[in-house]
Amino acid sequence: MGAEGWGLHVQVRVPLDAIDLDVDWRPGRHHVAILGPSGSGKSTLLRALAGLEPRAEGRVTFGDEVWLDSGSGIFMPAWERRVGWVPQDALLFPHLSLRENLAYAGAGRSEVEKMAESLFLTDLLDRRPRFLSGGERQRVALGRALLSAPRMLLLDEPFSALDRPLRAQIAAMVRAFARDTETPIVLVSHDEHDAGLLADERWVLVAGRLTANGTSA
Amino acid sequence: MGPAVPATPTELGSGQAPQEGPEELVVLAASSLQDVLPMVARAWRTAGGGPVRFSFDATSRLAPQILRGAPADVFVSADDVWMRWLEERGGVEGASIRPVATNQLVFVVPRGTSDPPEDPGSIAGADFSRIALAGENVPAGRYARAALESSGVWSSVEPRVVRGGSVRGTLEWVARAEVDGGIVYRSDALAENRVTLAFAFEGADYPAPTYPGAVTARAEHREAAEAFLDFMGGAAAAAVFSALGFGPAGEGTDMTQGPSPGLDTSSGLAGSSGLDPWSAVRLSLIVAFSAVLLGLVPAVAMGWVLARRDFFGKSFVSMIVMAPLVVPPVVTGFLLLSVLGRESALGGMLAAIGLPIPFTLLGATLAALVVGFPLYVMAIRAVFDTVDRRFEEVSWTLGVPKAPTFRRISLPLALPGIAAGAVLAFARALGEFGATVVLAGNMEGETRTIALAVYSLLESPSGQGATWILVAASVILSLGALLGFEGLSRWQRRRMEDHHGR
Repeated sequence: MGAEGWGLHVQVRVPLDAIDLDVDWRPGRHHVAILGPSGSGKSTLLRALAGLEPRAEGRVTFGDEVWLDSGSGIFMPAWERRVGWVPQDALLFPHLSLRENLAYAGAGRSEVEKMAESLFLTDLLDRRPRFLSGGERQRVALGRALLSAPRMLLLDEPFSALDRPLRAQIAAMVRAFARDTETPIVLVSHDEHDAGLLADERWVLVAGRLTANGTSA
Repeated sequence: MGPAVPATPTELGSGQAPQEGPEELVVLAASSLQDVLPMVARAWRTAGGGPVRFSFDATSRLAPQILRGAPADVFVSADDVWMRWLEERGGVEGASIRPVATNQLVFVVPRGTSDPPEDPGSIAGADFSRIALAGENVPAGRYARAALESSGVWSSVEPRVVRGGSVRGTLEWVARAEVDGGIVYRSDALAENRVTLAFAFEGADYPAPTYPGAVTARAEHREAAEAFLDFMGGAAAAAVFSALGFGPAGEGTDMTQGPSPGLDTSSGLAGSSGLDPWSAVRLSLIVAFSAVLLGLVPAVAMGWVLARRDFFGKSFVSMIVMAPLVVPPVVTGFLLLSVLGRESALGGMLAAIGLPIPFTLLGATLAALVVGFPLYVMAIRAVFDTVDRRFEEVSWTLGVPKAPTFRRISLPLALPGIAAGAVLAFARALGEFGATVVLAGNMEGETRTIALAVYSLLESPSGQGATWILVAASVILSLGALLGFEGLSRWQRRRMEDHHGR
């Protein structure tokens, strides 16, 4: 692990209801997991990275880009950061079919169909989200993010609704995508097993504070 | 009732103590007598008469009230058409009918009008693009038409006629220079210093407006009622009447000769002025659709801002938008007329670019829109409150900026709710009356919507058939709109449950 890691440096404070999130974080490996009990601020940290947390103060840099510098009033909006955010409850656009959800960021027809195939969604492409199971929705949300040419993947409990064998398959597919496109992954979970499927490095977030928890290589 | 009640005016001056207590004489009288009759009553009290309580309203509303049993002793009508109508139905005692006072029709122009017309012939010209008359079912409105017919200028003036409701409303339009001139009673013209009296319709050719009075069939104080009627027709009252521009009782159209030409009951009272119910239905639909279309973008923008933004003064903006929901529509109409009338800077500019607001379809549309806007915005605001804003956030992280996200996500998700708001505003626009009648008047084919047409017909005893067509159309359209609102609201809820009901 080099001192610079892969270029992400997060020093933010976000006031939360019970505690404040206060982190100074520089991940080392490309694929990191942040573990912690619910309510510890994991989702808020991802939202702050994605540019969805207007209360965030401090400084976030990615490579030579400044995403946030509240001291000098810099805030790069979410649509310029281009992170692939997969929220825990998927948030598929309810008025669009699966195909339209996957193609939302501009992917072409063949890309969409290839992605659907690798996520085992081909038969469902013309359905509306309301007719899907929770696991199917999570896979669509994942595919939608992967098809937006993300510069980083922010996965919030992405496998919580999948059964074990499917988790391994989908995790392998995401790892392959990340390898081919050199996309780093930040995954938050409360589940050690899920973290192990994707991450090379673990951090633990408790009561708003982030600490290193060794690496699993 | 004690023996102290004077039976005739001659007994009044005899020094008896005025009668006190609950034995009030109740007098229902035409609105145009509102200023003068209380003064006459004071003279009557001074002369020893008992207390008198008045209720003033349009004759066309008072007469039916009397038939329905209003507790009145005396009725003073603004013309003999309504008095005869009441007599035929047993509402008043025929033998007690007698003229009480007379009036005269005059043509008034806004104060400051250069070169006011001197005779009826000169208003036939094009200088007078709008001439206000009272409504067809209001006596002053029929007298005015009869006067113009007698002058031989009715056919050239008719296309430029704006029908107001009461004489008072007609006078207000002239005073505000919303019209170039109008025909009102001399007594009203004298009381309004913002108008100039141009000429009077004088002479035997013209109808002389007469106020007949009568004892009602249900009168509880018959003798006092007779005495008060005599007093009103007597010399003491005549001085009061003439001070306020009225004429003495004797100068009126002779009651025994029947109604003068143009004033006969059959044509005068009916919707014979050509009130076409389907024109009102068509107008209502046009007005309501235009109001909804015109308000769509502002309502969506306002609803979104109120649901999603926090800014200084938000509650004030919200209050202003919601105000027409609680302010009486008539007041809203008055404020709109003040802001958009020809006298105002904004209204003058609009008129100059060919968009006059008062008495136009545009005015009726604006009135309907302003009154329906709160419902429109409220419905849309509620929808944006229920659309999870994290859908928008996901779209941003996928590289789609705010404006296209609004177009591709927020708007389609809120669409059924926006449509529901539009339908609600449509329903409200259909029912709009108060603001419309003040801002846009009651003009056949131009601003007479269903509500206004029903109002006009209700004042006319023979308009029943057309009334029922309009009532049916109104109820069907309104309930249909509400049904549409329900359906659209359900669709919106279901759309939101797609997401939440995992």
